[in-house]
Amino acid sequence: MEETNETFCVGIDLGTSRSSISASNGERHVIDSYVGWPVDMVARKVIKKTVLVGREALDNRLMLDLRRPLERGLIKEGAKKDEDAVQEILRHLISLIGLKQKSKNRAKLRAVVGVPAEAFRNSKQRLRSALEGVADSVMLVSEPFAVAYGLEALLHALIIDIGAGTADFCVMQGRYPTEEDQRTLPNAGDSIDEQLLKLMREHHPEAQTSIHMIREWKEKWSFVGEPKKPVVVTVPVKGKATDFDITKEMGEACESILPPVCETMLDLLARVEPEYQENVRNNIILAGGTSLITGLSDAVQKALADLGGGRATVVKDPVFAGSDGGLALARDASSSDWEKLSL
Amino acid sequence: MADVAPNKLRLLKGAVQDNVDLVRGIRTPGLGRRKLLESPPPDPVQRKRIRRLWLWSPLSLVVIAYLLLPSPVVSLRQTAPIKTFEAEIKQTPATAEVKVPETEPQAPASEPHALDRGVIPLAIKKIVIDAGHGGKQPGAISESGVSEKEITLDIALRLRRLLGKTPFEVIMTRQGDQTISLDKRVAFANTNKADLFVSIHVNWTEPREIRPLETYFVGPSDDPVTIKLASMENQESGYSLSEYRRVLEKIYIDTRRDESRSLAKNIQAELYHSLKTINPELDDRGVKMAPFLVLVGTEMPAILVEVSTLSNEEEVQLLTNPDYREKIALALVRGIRSYASNHNGVDRKGS
Ligand SMILES: Nc1ncnc2c1ncn2[C@@H]1O[C@H](COP(=O)(O)OP(=O)(O)OP(=O)(O)O)[C@@H](O)[C@H]1O
Ligand SMILES: [Mg+2]
Ligand SMILES: [Zn+2]
Repeated sequence: MEETNETFCVGIDLGTSRSSISASNGERHVIDSYVGWPVDMVARKVIKKTVLVGREALDNRLMLDLRRPLERGLIKEGAKKDEDAVQEILRHLISLIGLKQKSKNRAKLRAVVGVPAEAFRNSKQRLRSALEGVADSVMLVSEPFAVAYGLEALLHALIIDIGAGTADFCVMQGRYPTEEDQRTLPNAGDSIDEQLLKLMREHHPEAQTSIHMIREWKEKWSFVGEPKKPVVVTVPVKGKATDFDITKEMGEACESILPPVCETMLDLLARVEPEYQENVRNNIILAGGTSLITGLSDAVQKALADLGGGRATVVKDPVFAGSDGGLALARDASSSDWEKLSL
Repeated sequence: MADVAPNKLRLLKGAVQDNVDLVRGIRTPGLGRRKLLESPPPDPVQRKRIRRLWLWSPLSLVVIAYLLLPSPVVSLRQTAPIKTFEAEIKQTPATAEVKVPETEPQAPASEPHALDRGVIPLAIKKIVIDAGHGGKQPGAISESGVSEKEITLDIALRLRRLLGKTPFEVIMTRQGDQTISLDKRVAFANTNKADLFVSIHVNWTEPREIRPLETYFVGPSDDPVTIKLASMENQESGYSLSEYRRVLEKIYIDTRRDESRSLAKNIQAELYHSLKTINPELDDRGVKMAPFLVLVGTEMPAILVEVSTLSNEEEVQLLTNPDYREKIALALVRGIRSYASNHNGVDRKGS
């Protein structure tokens, strides 16, 4: 008599720049975490929709009140519009997995949602309410914890999830992580973008760059340490395509996150019981889009050299590592657990 | 549920408990209690500098204002902020306030405040912005359904917002989608004793490929195309025939004409200059004389600008972009300013 209705599990990674979903029917999707509403009558007429989500919103950004509602992975305080935007993202993600929610015996939807490691309580409450009407039961977990669970890195591991808005750290010591085991830094992909934009404006003020171009370049040519080859970009100058060598700027911008990230890593390591420190040092897992920076794991390992060395690896699938972990959690939780977490 | 390994089960129980606490509103030492690690606070020296800056800025502003008065009031208020608008404004909706970059909250005077309008002996103080058409009169309509009245109102609202940051007083013939006859618009400007009248329109021109930009001031015209346009724009007249004749006669004796021409020139130049970078196909038709009713009846320097044309779908595409409309509004501000600064004996253009 456990379930009259079919149950359906999803893991969702709500990210600043991208959000992904992994579902128990095998569907996996990722979208850009953008939501936009037409700015005015003119835009409404052209767009012919009341709201756009993901890529479509980004592409039409000039006509939209465009929101990236999860800056730092949290619903922004007091911003009704951002709450609505989060709801639109969640709705949209769930619509992508092909669940027929209209039918009478609709499946009960159980969702595990990954949020930054140190989400404030009221923001988590808001997230729960944003899911009302979208899911039946909700469990919120810290993003790096979801990653760890999915990888079964449950003991003696340090997860560093470097996304767009935040870098989230979590030490796994065989127990559910406490406050002490986790850290969140505001230094991540977005701060690299800002840094690179600043350097471009300083060094090449004539080049017409936008944050979107910057991000694209970074995702193509990011590196720390020695450059493998020069980074040359083509930018319009007074309407004329012009080449710029931005190797130095790219390296400098990417490296800007290393000091805070390494410092936090070392700090967390120092808190691990001395006898396990070496195990953890050798099990550092880099996740999140920004972990794709070329040379990042080497740079992290270099920072461990003084402590006697260590090993850092980048997860195989940074896009879905979080949502897959969330799905694993959703499946493993019992029905009575889910009952307690119903909306 | 599948068999879950004991080591996982322990973690899972922890996650569930944390969430149960969340639902019940209990604070636990689990997830989510720590503040985001911020960058370190500014060092004491830096902090002192900030405080000193804050102390000095209002005072220094007064001093600067005093030293520069009377000539540069315009430049204080206008040149500086408006330059930055261009960088700032990305997708500001028409009615929204311009976002001023977030500065130190306790340093309110870091940006010059709007000076009291009464302080400045401006010859040009009050400006009427006239958004063409409205309500039951949509004006021109593009193939894709964009109507002139929507665009003109949007640009007018943007213009008002931008001019709100200058010492000018701005009044509008319409702020919403109302039907207002041309004689009412004229009467509105005259009874309010406005100093300038700026009427915003969007053209409809043939052949469809052309993309003219033109600004009109009052005067007779023998150009049949202009006369046709004038008769189109004059449809919502509201004037009786005898009144119409009387106002028409004024065209020839009006001394406002030179002023209006100068205003038209400034506006046309700024518009063309700033739009052609994004819209290289734009055709600079210059300033023209035409007997538009709103130009004839008004008693102050007055112009009518056709900022774009709805007959060309590429223009329509541009017009649907708020950035483009903002650019138009900004250029109008610049045109008005440069006219006003000449008029007021203050020529600080390019500073
Ligand atoms: N190859 C790459 N090199 C460097 N950065 C990259 C690369 N690919 C993606 N990124 C960056 O990764 C970030 C997105 O990563 P991810 O999807 O993990 O973030 P998120 O989950 O949306 O953010 P957060 O977890 O902070 O909320 C963006 O800043 C993106 O520019
Ligand atoms: Mg993330
Ligand atoms: Zn018109």
